[in-house]
Amino acid sequence: MTQTATLDLGNGESDLIGRIKTTFARRTEGRAVVLLIIVSIWALIWESTVFTAYEVTLGRLALIGLTAVGLTAVILMGELDLSIASILAVSGVVMASFDNVFLGIAVSLTIGLVIGAVNAFFVVVVGINSFIATLGMLFFLRGMAFVISDEEPVVMANKDFALDFGKPLIGEFTPRVLIFVLAFIAMHVFLTRVRVGREFYAVGGNREAARDAGIPVRRRVFTGFMISGFVAAAAGIIVTLQLTAADPTAGGNALLTSFAAAIVGGILLNGGRGSVLGTLLGAASLAILQVGMTFNGVESDVQNIIIGLVLFFAVITDPNSIRAVLGSARTFFRGRSAPDPAD
Amino acid sequence: MRNPRTTTRHRSRAAIGLLAAGALIFAACGSDDDDAADEAPAEEAPAEDDAPAETDAPADDEAAAGDSFEVFALLPQGNDQPYGTTYLPPFEAKAAELGLNLNIVNSGYDGEQQASDCEVAVAAQPDLIILWPAVGDQVRPCLEAANDAGIPVTVTNSDLIPEDQELSEAYSGPDTYGQGVSSAEMFCEFAGGDDVGILMVNGAPGNSTAIDREAGFEDTINEQCPNVEILQRETGNWNKDDSQLAASEMITAVGAENIGGVYAADDTMVAGVIDALKARDIDPAELIITSIGNTFLGNPLVLSGEVDGTVFQSSSWDGENAAVTAHEVLTGDTSERIVKFMPSVKVTEENADDPSVAPEW
Amino acid sequence: MTVESTVEVGETPEPADPEVGVEQQDFNALEWVSQQGVFVFTALLLIFAGIFIDGFASVDNITDVFNRAAPIGIVAVGMTFVVISANYLDLSVVAQVATSAVLLIAVSNSYNMLLGMALGLLVAIVYGIVNGVAVGVFRANAVIVTLSTTFVGLGLLRWASGGSIYFGDPDGVIATFGSTEIGPFPLAMLVLILVTLAMHFVLTNTTFGFLVKSFGSNRHATRLAGVNTPLVVIGAFTVCAFGAMLGGWVLAAFSNTAVSSMSAGFDFEALAAIIVGGTSVFGGKGSVLRTLLGVVFVSALTNIMVLSGYGFGYQQMAIGALIVLAVSVDALARKVGRS
Repeated sequence: MTQTATLDLGNGESDLIGRIKTTFARRTEGRAVVLLIIVSIWALIWESTVFTAYEVTLGRLALIGLTAVGLTAVILMGELDLSIASILAVSGVVMASFDNVFLGIAVSLTIGLVIGAVNAFFVVVVGINSFIATLGMLFFLRGMAFVISDEEPVVMANKDFALDFGKPLIGEFTPRVLIFVLAFIAMHVFLTRVRVGREFYAVGGNREAARDAGIPVRRRVFTGFMISGFVAAAAGIIVTLQLTAADPTAGGNALLTSFAAAIVGGILLNGGRGSVLGTLLGAASLAILQVGMTFNGVESDVQNIIIGLVLFFAVITDPNSIRAVLGSARTFFRGRSAPDPAD
Repeated sequence: MRNPRTTTRHRSRAAIGLLAAGALIFAACGSDDDDAADEAPAEEAPAEDDAPAETDAPADDEAAAGDSFEVFALLPQGNDQPYGTTYLPPFEAKAAELGLNLNIVNSGYDGEQQASDCEVAVAAQPDLIILWPAVGDQVRPCLEAANDAGIPVTVTNSDLIPEDQELSEAYSGPDTYGQGVSSAEMFCEFAGGDDVGILMVNGAPGNSTAIDREAGFEDTINEQCPNVEILQRETGNWNKDDSQLAASEMITAVGAENIGGVYAADDTMVAGVIDALKARDIDPAELIITSIGNTFLGNPLVLSGEVDGTVFQSSSWDGENAAVTAHEVLTGDTSERIVKFMPSVKVTEENADDPSVAPEW
Repeated sequence: MTVESTVEVGETPEPADPEVGVEQQDFNALEWVSQQGVFVFTALLLIFAGIFIDGFASVDNITDVFNRAAPIGIVAVGMTFVVISANYLDLSVVAQVATSAVLLIAVSNSYNMLLGMALGLLVAIVYGIVNGVAVGVFRANAVIVTLSTTFVGLGLLRWASGGSIYFGDPDGVIATFGSTEIGPFPLAMLVLILVTLAMHFVLTNTTFGFLVKSFGSNRHATRLAGVNTPLVVIGAFTVCAFGAMLGGWVLAAFSNTAVSSMSAGFDFEALAAIIVGGTSVFGGKGSVLRTLLGVVFVSALTNIMVLSGYGFGYQQMAIGALIVLAVSVDALARKVGRS
């Protein structure tokens, strides 16, 4: 008898519970939720300023989360985008070079789209692995940012606009936080309701099947990279406005923490599983952790150690990994070709 | 299809893993409160009652000098760099002596990180913020936020740009532009009126100290001794090995016979330059070489004549005065901005073994 | 003749290609370029530079190129094992190189050099095991695992060492090693060559090397064949860690100093050298000799740019363009080969 186990829950009353259970079993955000709860409890006990001064925590969340949200689109398709750090730097430098702020913003965003398209070109048309293609772009664009800016920060012509940008707009929320919220909502809707967005999952899950099902995979990949590029450019603009000057060395931290947020959030690097919600939860956990540790006076070195450990444990407690441990342990100790549940 | 039972088992394993992580976090926080007693972290939210309503005047409601003050220090370096490592102990010691409870954050020369740290600092409502700008052009938002919250700001090591200075109460530290100037003045002196072609080794690209020193040196050369010409410049990344390679390659590019001198933005790099020269059988004593710092690496080179001049920078002066100045602002009445420049003492072979310029880092 | 596996595990899914085993009759220029390209281009670059760039061919400059190449090269040669095992790269070499350099100099100053080396060895083994277990046993993504170990490793190093810069004894063994040259060859270069030869031997003539390649090319088949695959992965990361350890020693010897920031950029630069050398990031094939060539190419290029007066920004652009170009040729060659 081949009843699918997840549905075999006995009588009809359990159906609802059964469906809820199935939904939860499919979700990847479980770990992020647990981490967020742990971190929040820690913060409540040791450093409640994290919550009383919530605008600071939100600001940090927006910082980490924006690029992470754009990155999620790319990772869901099974690709990687390492160039976001340099896109951030280049877009900031370009925008600051314009006297007219809005023109600068428009040009920078366009550049982000173009770079995203270039990345996609290399991945789809030329056929390079996205890790390498975006790694090369990471170097290339970083160099370009230095060349354009002549290796020093580029100060904005319209400083007042920039300074106002950093002030709260609605209630306690600064434009940066609001933009992040909008980006998150937009991405969530796109990935869950819009057909094109939902196809990202198919492209990531099984590219061949997606192609056979008639999904224009190439176009989707282009869209994904362009989204990531656009968002990274937006992040660069925001950072520059917040700081009133563009720094060609910016973005290094953004790359690492964005990946960390997405990974902790449960996204699968092979693609096909994950969600922006998970990324949001991951980013929130990291933000609370970082802000809490800073309020608490934890030295930067120790902060890095802790973040590293959190990331380490997050990535080895991936459901895939847990299953893999069984198989690997068996292989390790008995060297037998036992069926590996992770295959 | 996943078996819900195994899923639950996996999730509970995941939870255990995370609890372990959580336990580590608890443990780290616990132990952290024990070490570095002078860096007393605020476990509960710091007292809210000491944020004065005024925007400019220093907080003098804690009139008694014996009171302790909560101070946030936003630094761009610390134990990750040699200067920072020797800046911190005198800073912390003096602060403890004066009753300042320090909360030190290191942003690693990342302007964005420092801005974020600043937001945290302002929200913590300390009595004062000590700022060492990571990127001078990017700190105005931080200053404005502190001002709006009524928290006085003092600046250490790298001063603000002129238009931002009014937002702060004090500055203490070296004059990084002036250091470049001093080094150049020595160079001009040694060059006499001769035409000299030189190499320039700068600090890390994008770093404000590097930019200021380069500007100070170059402006002075152009004004005071245009007979000295910068033939090529490269970055040494504040590293000895990078500057050794860069210097060697510049020598190849420019031609050893055309080089009359070298300027390096700090002593660590000038040591690399000296090694590069020696490896190519060029006697450093025959060239005019100046740098900045008078450090453990640099001072012996000055004594031996290989480096002709350097500028003394005392990390302990810097650290101590950061604390002293902060205390002055907290307890005194300062209507005018306090500015304390660390003397840019030129060090040549003559005064290199003078104890007043003894190397500290 | 090995048939390339069509099961791509853990990376960008590519269309299954049943024809890849069929050799093209016609001469595929792109294919040839991608295989032999690095040899030809390196030779061309060196010749071009020798003729057109003043001073490139001088003994002093060759020494500079070698001094540039040696530390990165040793690290890259070790990391090649990780790349061949289809695990992308090891980001933690940044922390490892700095740690081994600091241990060598600091411990030599306070105790003795051998103790410093022994501790370095111990640290390398720890890194190798931690990274290897996470990637091999837990099947976690190597990029993230090594990212997290870098955070932890650098944090620990700075915390423990206080971030100070350590100076070696100016007359000590380390300093002498760093400044000794045989003709245009710094001793460090000889170390690089020896390490490359040793690693090459391991990769091509030992079972372990064979298993690394086999695992990289087809994980499942290797495991089904009864191989202790987690051990293979741990081994690959440990080899990489040894490379990083030696690289750190050589770097420390060159300047006779050690500081936690001295290894910045080593991770991606080493990877760039490996890629330019022609080793596929998909894993399964590659050679350390190619990596050596890739390192020479990248170092020579950087050297040429400095000699020509191009600053940091242009250098980064060149390396980036190079990476993309090198891999593009390879990818296009495979596409043309199929059509």
